[in-house]
Amino acid sequence: MAIQNLLLEAKNISKTFDNVVRALDAVTIEVRKNEILSIVGENGAGKSTLMKILVGVYQPDSGELYYGGRRIPFPKNPIEALRRGITIVYQERGVIPHLKVYQFLFLGLEEKFTRLGRLQLEKIIGITKSVFDELGVRCDLGSYMYELPLSIQKMVEIARAILSIRLAIGGESSDITPIIILDEPTAPLSIEERDELFQYILSLKKNNSFIFVSHIIPEVMRSSDRIYVLRDGKLVAHHDLSIEKISEDQLFREIVGRVSYYELYAGHEYGIAEAKGKPIILSVRNLTKKGYYQDITFDVREGECIGLFGPAGCGKSEVAKTLYGELLADGGKIIVDNREVSIKGEPHSRLSRGIGYFSGETGKELFLYWPIKKNVSIVNFEKVVRRPLKIVSVISFKAEKILAEKIVKKLRIKAPSVEAECYSLSGGSKQKVSVGKWLERSPKILILEDPTIGIDVGAREDIYEVLLEMKKNGISLVLVSDDPKEYAILCDKVVLMRDGKLQKVYTNEDFRKVMEL
Amino acid sequence: MSNNLRKEAVIIPILTSAWRLIKGNPAIWAIFGLVIIFSSVVPERFLSTGNLVAILKNFAVTSMLAVGPTFVILLGSIDVSYMGIWMFGGALVWLLYPYLGLASIFIYPIFGLLIGLFNGVVHVKARIPSFILTLAMTAVLAFLTTYVRNVSGVLTLTVPAYNFLRESPIPYVPSPFLLALPTIAIAIFLMFFTKLGTYLCAIGSNEEGAKLAGINVEKYKILAFMFSGFLVGLGSIAIFVHLGNQTRVDFDPSELVRGLAAIVLGGTPLAGGMGGPHRTLLGALVYVLIFNGLFLLPGVDPNHLKLYIGALLLGAVVIASRALKGALIA
Repeated sequence: MAIQNLLLEAKNISKTFDNVVRALDAVTIEVRKNEILSIVGENGAGKSTLMKILVGVYQPDSGELYYGGRRIPFPKNPIEALRRGITIVYQERGVIPHLKVYQFLFLGLEEKFTRLGRLQLEKIIGITKSVFDELGVRCDLGSYMYELPLSIQKMVEIARAILSIRLAIGGESSDITPIIILDEPTAPLSIEERDELFQYILSLKKNNSFIFVSHIIPEVMRSSDRIYVLRDGKLVAHHDLSIEKISEDQLFREIVGRVSYYELYAGHEYGIAEAKGKPIILSVRNLTKKGYYQDITFDVREGECIGLFGPAGCGKSEVAKTLYGELLADGGKIIVDNREVSIKGEPHSRLSRGIGYFSGETGKELFLYWPIKKNVSIVNFEKVVRRPLKIVSVISFKAEKILAEKIVKKLRIKAPSVEAECYSLSGGSKQKVSVGKWLERSPKILILEDPTIGIDVGAREDIYEVLLEMKKNGISLVLVSDDPKEYAILCDKVVLMRDGKLQKVYTNEDFRKVMEL
Repeated sequence: MSNNLRKEAVIIPILTSAWRLIKGNPAIWAIFGLVIIFSSVVPERFLSTGNLVAILKNFAVTSMLAVGPTFVILLGSIDVSYMGIWMFGGALVWLLYPYLGLASIFIYPIFGLLIGLFNGVVHVKARIPSFILTLAMTAVLAFLTTYVRNVSGVLTLTVPAYNFLRESPIPYVPSPFLLALPTIAIAIFLMFFTKLGTYLCAIGSNEEGAKLAGINVEKYKILAFMFSGFLVGLGSIAIFVHLGNQTRVDFDPSELVRGLAAIVLGGTPLAGGMGGPHRTLLGALVYVLIFNGLFLLPGVDPNHLKLYIGALLLGAVVIASRALKGALIA
């Protein structure tokens, strides 16, 4: 039975980058007709590399590809993949806001609808109408893309993917089932919009197969027929949800795996007792942003670390971004040191009130083409300037260098000198530069978003050490991450969130019990 | 022995930093090349005292138009209001001289600062694209200058009282060049010795990241426009003196191109994020050398000079932007 349904099979795919990084290690997956297949894993697990091989962006080092039981070569480019009925809808950057819906739908596909250089608009609009009727997309064809809600924009993108496969295949479309890869399709959407999108995808299942790339567990559980779990480039699990049932926790643990660094910190002392008598530095009261989170309330004491924990999409990173002023809340209060902060504030006004922000996403707050010392001094100008005439601050190059050298030494950053430009550093060292600048600045509160994402164990340890030292120095931390072990190492309290709501507050001990760490 | 070692310890770092300077600034190569070419093809005319003094003067004028706007270009925005500030600022000096006396020359930087403040606030708060905004500003100010001239019924807006500024205390060094030095010094100081330079580069190369690092992006954008206007105003004093204590009263687009050309030739990409006034100074020198050298070459019709310069610039801009891209990737 399975054989009849089998559509695409990719066997033993391996891919190495720069002869060092093993992105995929003998991964085998199969895609069946009319199913929603999910591929889950942490960032850097190899999901996108695998998908890029299927659509011809990368070539694998080894492996075989079968289509309907026949061996075929790997597609050399996305157009070849399109002719085989495979295409991808990328996470972002897909939509062109200032095109009309039908213009966007046919972007790059106009060739067949042009006569003597003139676009046959009637024909294009006609096809758009029939495609939308067939696929159940409801929107005004004449409106611009940016006028549509995000969920509808995504639907138009999916419709575009299906249409481009049909046009690429030509007449024989009936016997080919399109395979549409959706790369984190729900990332920018609010909770209601996500439901709408899933209804849509489910309705398209009867004629198409979907590969759904994600790390948002509840969504994956709700919509998939089968799930593959990737970790560190290897396939670690396969679940057919029509025959077996698995829990969210089980899937979560499979995705995350166990890494040795946790054991290193297993015996270390957690600072709960120390923080108890200390004053409250940050109070969050009924913080609400429609569609993302509601009624978030918690307190952070001096030198305490609070973790916002929950499945991706629960609103935890939105809360973190709001605290730093990158996202604006609709209502509620943020109180720092017994003084209310305007919830409409921007990052610079938050920083002036003592809230700093550190994200592990490389390049987000690091200036890659700058030397290390400039990246350090950008938040530490007060420490490297001299005031010879009282009113003018003059940068002292010497002080700048000494400050950067101190951080390089302390964090064991591997760099030829503080003049080295940051792009030449390893991922771990980049992150250390990012976090090191805050160590010197010592804000009252530091918001951490995925502080150790995508870096190796050794670098993680160094960063944990710095963060623990910050706590000891009285800096309060708010942590958002995907890794429960990180919470166990750093946090005194863990706030559980789900669907934008605060569920429960665990102490570190309880949290470790619940997560079986 | 130890003496030798000490010498090496001094010389080697100097050599390496000199090499880094040359490597990082392609304009230095161009300057060397141009000087060698012109001084071997037309040595008597190119290396004559008169010509060298002319080069210094033209360098002062070109760099004074370009140094200020470089700060805005670092942001990835653009400021072409310098023509307007230069022209109408001079008209103001002429208008106010009867009331303020010699002090009226200081209207120039104050006027520039105010125009910069206006540009910055409108650009940031009303989100008007900087090119259109500052071009319109130049158009308005150029019109006003011509209008002042027409209404007052004079041929030129000259203030002869400043004639003493035209005499240079140092032989062979023209006074416009000396008058340009404070502007250059302030620009270099702002770029390297205050956080302004770093912040502007940060905003130009990664605005999101700059915001996350807690930089008040809007404030620094406005500041960039203010300093741009201020430096153009201050620098315009040198141009004012160079032109015989008068301002330009008719708009010439090639003067507008001159400023931008110096910036781009120097190696500050219009996309922002890198470069700075130091590069613009080099770029201004390149521009002046090309112009001056071509003028001296036999067989080059001076009437076609602007065409050649235009074509040359187009090529240079393409090459410069490509070379810089390569440097970024490597």
